[in-house]
Order: sequence, then structure tokens, then C-alpha cells
Amino acid sequence: MNTIAYIIYLLITYLITVRVGLVFFRNGRIFILGLLKDDVTLTDAINRILLIGYYLVNLGYAALMISTWSTIHNWMELFLSITVMTGKIVMTLAVMHYINMLVIYFISKRNKTILHP
Amino acid sequence: MERTLNFTAYLIYLPIVIFLTWYVAHTLFKNSKVFMQDIFNGKTDIALATNKLFETGFYLINLGFAFWVMEITHGLLDNRDMVEALSTKIGGFCVNLGLMLFLNLYLFFRGRRKAKARYTPLSATPKIEG
Repeated sequence: MNTIAYIIYLLITYLITVRVGLVFFRNGRIFILGLLKDDVTLTDAINRILLIGYYLVNLGYAALMISTWSTIHNWMELFLSITVMTGKIVMTLAVMHYINMLVIYFISKRNKTILHP
Repeated sequence: MERTLNFTAYLIYLPIVIFLTWYVAHTLFKNSKVFMQDIFNGKTDIALATNKLFETGFYLINLGFAFWVMEITHGLLDNRDMVEALSTKIGGFCVNLGLMLFLNLYLFFRGRRKAKARYTPLSATPKIEG
């Protein structure tokens, strides 16, 4: 039973990670562009590297969490544990996302005070 | 192990919380574009990008929380048990959603106030004297 759970779980986390990653990739570009003072080639390079790093961290974390899984006896436990584990992963993603936005906010604030004292 | 109603409760719980999250996020972030335009002083592209990022964060944190707290630890033996457990879960989730909504609204109002203070020219103040 555990193998089925792992397969479904990895599929769901993969879909969520890739989808959310693409949203961040598209919408985060403009912020990096602003921070690097309209240097387009460097922005695209950094953005792509950040996307790869994001995938690595999240999928690696999702795969690591499998080792903490308890044994599954019936379909209800399968359903329950998949949902709870996915919830944990998504919560972690959300916390990381908010930290990232805070970092961007503080960096842009600092740049403004340096440029316009 | 005797048969319990937990699985039915989960099947009812999940669609309700997903629908609630979608509805609240949809309403909030459809209307927050006005705030974003004000905050970024009419720069539409950066305003829409920020809006989308906040929307994604809202979905992630609320759905993650909803999935995380789904487990009902005691066995539900009859319908009354199930309704009581479900109403506690869904009610708690609604309160959480409301708190998140007001937190986001507070952030929007705060950003708007700061942006207004930044972009208002100083020459606007002597209007009181003249």
C-alpha cells in the first residue's frame, strides 16, 4: 500500500511544484529586472538559475519526507496520509514564498535609500 | 477494526474547503488590483505581478493548512458525531480564512497609505494657508 501512496504523493507534489514554480518564474522576473537596473540578459540568467534551485529544493524536500511515512493499512489511511503530507509540503512552500517576498521587499527598500538619501 | 464514518467526513470536508479557499481568494484578488495600482503608482505590470504573487501565496498557505489539519483522530460512529466533527473543522477553517483575509486587507491599506505619503508632492500642504 505504501508504494501506491508514494507514487500518488510524488505525482501531486511534482504537479504543484512545477505549476507554482512557473507562476513565480513569470511574475518574479520584473522584480529582478528592477533590482538589476534593467539588465535583461543577466536577469533572465538569474531567473532561470533560481527556478532550477527552487525545483531542486522542493522536490528534494518532498522526496526526503517519504522516509518519515508510517505504514498504511487501508484506503482511508492512504487518502489521509497523502493529504496530510501534501498539506505539510504546501505549507512549507507558502512559508518560503512569503520569506522570499519579504527579502525582495527589504532589498528594494535598501536600494531606494542608497539611491535617494 | 469496525467501520467508521471518517472517510465520508474527509470526502465532504475536502471539496468544501477547496471551494471556500477558491471563492475567497478569487474575490479578494479580483478587487485588490485597485489597491495595487495605487501602491505602485499606476505601474500596471509590476502591480499585476505582485497581485499574482500574493494570490499564489494565499492559496498555498490556506490549502496547505486545510490539508494539514484534515485528520479526525477519533472514530466517528454515527451521523451526529460526523456533523459535529465536520462543523468544528470547517468552522475553524473559516475563521482562519477570515483572519488571513483581514491580514491581507491590512497589508493593502498599509501599502496604499505609505505610497500616498511618498508620492504626494510637498507643495500640496500650503493649501490651508491660502
